[in-house]
Amino acid sequence: MTRLQLLSLAAAMAFLATAGAHAAGDKAAGKKLVYTCAGCHGVPGYSNAYPQYPVPKIAGQNEQYIINALHGYQSGDRTHPTMGAQAQSLSDTDIQNVAAYLSSLAQ
Amino acid sequence: MNRALTLLSFGAILAFASTQLLAGGNAENGKKKAGTCFACHGTDGNAVDPQYPRLAGQYDEYIQQALHEYKDGRRNNAIMKGMDATLSDQDIEDIAAYFSSLPTKLDTLQGHVSGDK
Repeated sequence: MTRLQLLSLAAAMAFLATAGAHAAGDKAAGKKLVYTCAGCHGVPGYSNAYPQYPVPKIAGQNEQYIINALHGYQSGDRTHPTMGAQAQSLSDTDIQNVAAYLSSLAQ
Repeated sequence: MNRALTLLSFGAILAFASTQLLAGGNAENGKKKAGTCFACHGTDGNAVDPQYPRLAGQYDEYIQQALHEYKDGRRNNAIMKGMDATLSDQDIEDIAAYFSSLPTKLDTLQGHVSGDK
């Protein structure tokens, strides 16, 4: 293997490693953050006020989907008064931690 | 007589109203209409790619709500908007009935919060 190939391989490995570290949320930190979520998402069959529909089950939901949904509420791509306000209070790291914890609950 | 008629018509209205409420979607029809959903959300409704949500066992009315929101733009998502565009209200009810009826990996947060478990 040439030196150049080795170098690019090393670069690729480093990139993958940082990408992995970036994506991994802290489940324990997430578990503390979801205390607020449980007010609505922790009550089976709990209904959104208007229009009326049950708030979704989020324990066990897929990780990147939760991250995307929360960023969507932050940016306004998803409109929901309560979720918009809640998402604004979360940092990117918070969102990763929440998603890591929720996705780990898949039955 | 008048009173009986009033009562009867009242009863008829109630009966009609409740059948409307119970009508909901048809999961069998929903399965046939959900073909395009399977590519991303999985044939069992449990998406393998973590960027797509699990739908299996999610609340029926929540899935309907989400589909309506993607369709009318309250949720801005290019992929789902395209998928939704051709769905009728009945299609949405049927598809939601189907996915909500599948074995789930989802749960509410009850019992999953720091301190109570």
